[in-house]
Amino acid sequence: MAALGTTRCLFQSFYRVKDLHRIRKTLFRCNARTFCDETSVKGGAKPRFTDAAVQDILTRITGLDLQKVFRPIKQEMKPPTYKLMTDEQLEQAIQFATEEAKKQLQMPPVLPERKPINEVLAVDKILDGMDTAKYVFTDITYSVPHRERFIVVREPDGTLRKATWEERDRLVQVYFPKQGRKLMPHVLFKEENLKTVFSQDRHEDVLNLCLVQFEPDSADYIRVHEATYEDLEKNGKYNLLRSTRHFGGLAWYLVNARRVDGLIADMLRRDMLQDAISLVSLFHMIHPHSESAQEAASQQAAGTDLLKIYSQKESQRSGYIELALQAYEEKAAEGSAS
Amino acid sequence: MAAYVLNISRIFSREVISASFQFHRYRSCLQRLPAVKPNLLTHQFTSSAACWQEAEVHAAQTADRYKQRPWVYLDSEEYVERYGSSAVWAGYRRNHKGGIPPQKTRKTCIRGDKICGNPCPICRDPNIIINHQNVKLLQQFISPHTGMVYDPTLTGVCMKQQKKLNEAINKARDDGLLPFQIPHVDFSGEDYSNTHDAVGLTSPPPFLSPSEPWYKWIWILTPGVHVNAKVHVFEESLLTLVAKVNTCIQYKLVTQISTDMTCKYT
Repeated sequence: MAALGTTRCLFQSFYRVKDLHRIRKTLFRCNARTFCDETSVKGGAKPRFTDAAVQDILTRITGLDLQKVFRPIKQEMKPPTYKLMTDEQLEQAIQFATEEAKKQLQMPPVLPERKPINEVLAVDKILDGMDTAKYVFTDITYSVPHRERFIVVREPDGTLRKATWEERDRLVQVYFPKQGRKLMPHVLFKEENLKTVFSQDRHEDVLNLCLVQFEPDSADYIRVHEATYEDLEKNGKYNLLRSTRHFGGLAWYLVNARRVDGLIADMLRRDMLQDAISLVSLFHMIHPHSESAQEAASQQAAGTDLLKIYSQKESQRSGYIELALQAYEEKAAEGSAS
Repeated sequence: MAAYVLNISRIFSREVISASFQFHRYRSCLQRLPAVKPNLLTHQFTSSAACWQEAEVHAAQTADRYKQRPWVYLDSEEYVERYGSSAVWAGYRRNHKGGIPPQKTRKTCIRGDKICGNPCPICRDPNIIINHQNVKLLQQFISPHTGMVYDPTLTGVCMKQQKKLNEAINKARDDGLLPFQIPHVDFSGEDYSNTHDAVGLTSPPPFLSPSEPWYKWIWILTPGVHVNAKVHVFEESLLTLVAKVNTCIQYKLVTQISTDMTCKYT
């Protein structure tokens, strides 16, 4: 009798919970769908780094100088090989080389800073004072991606918590060492040492080392990248990163900070008008509510008109840009006349 | 004492080696040997005793000067006079028996105060100090084409100095003073959404239903057939045991009830 009653209660609770579970699942799905809708709406208003249009513009601006991408690097030397080729074979070889170069110039991701992990899984007061050291338990299954790996820490006072991002990075490097990455980051990444390296014009080396050492969403990665971009912008040494994988990131950072004048001036100085126009169009894409963007949209401007509108409305160094534009137009006129 | 005198006489008798190099080497020997009182020297050496002392003092001063900032020596005149534009180890030849040199150079050139004959390129010049800030010197020991550190059998450096050299080069690369080739990193297949429970917020555990796993990332392992059979046998034995215990308990209960009843009604 009593048993029947208990079983009936169990069944009822079971079904209630099952319903709850179903309801929660549907809620989750609804939430996910609305989230997707929001992002698709936002996609039109605020373009992200990974959007196809943005990536297209950035790759065009980066350029593709085969001599710079395939410059000789210091590696184990082999005797050189010589091949006799026809013109067609040479073209094919150059095509193959351009594809390889595009793979080399693949842009590293630009992500927001990761949120810290502060989660306590359990508190066992019985273990308080049992030991003086923390114990870290890592799941070293080989096939699990590092971002899905469980790493937990048992503190001496008995709390079992998830490991912080710094601890995670260090432990993953201990058990699954990555080539080129060190357990303690290079002393190079400190503020004082960065200055000496920048004075030697080795910004590309710093950025490559940063890519190897840090995760793309860590605070150190973002800090080093920002410091490098700031230094480049201050000294106008944009050409150091041209035709490397970091130029896209630099352009994105400057456009988001609304400080593209130096870069446009540098492009005009080197007679890269198309690049300057693409950069201005990217600026309008990202800041559609700015004056120059609205003016350009109303006039349906294209080509050098875009640059003129930008120099009038938005830039601080408008004089230089207008002068450069004039010089370019004169040259173009001379070229067409002669 | 006698050996010391013999050594000096041997040095002075050899006139094939260039005078400046001989003098430098002699100076380095002097630095490592204890100072000699002029009273004990014979008539031959009394005239040069004074200039020996001067040379010793001068050598000590220069060594101190370069100890603080070792990279200054590589720009100085005496360096250019001695080595010109070639590397510090250029022209050095190891002394060994036979045509093939031993695979490892000597362990160390300087033991205590004594220096060996034909010391290695770093030990023979006391002004050359291996330091991670002394980039020009370190670059002389790195190949400009491959970026690899030269083997000691090529440069002739003793093993102790080679170890110091390796440490200094690693430290310089760490500090960013020496450039080196950095491996290319591929970012194509990674997921940076951070939504997995391991790095994001873990949802609270749902009520345990027998069919569903606790969390999405737990997968149920199905054991092999032979394991199943063993488990089956074990389970069967357990069940029989439990049944036996149950019967015992029931019997005990019945007997207890009957004793209670008898107690009650008597």
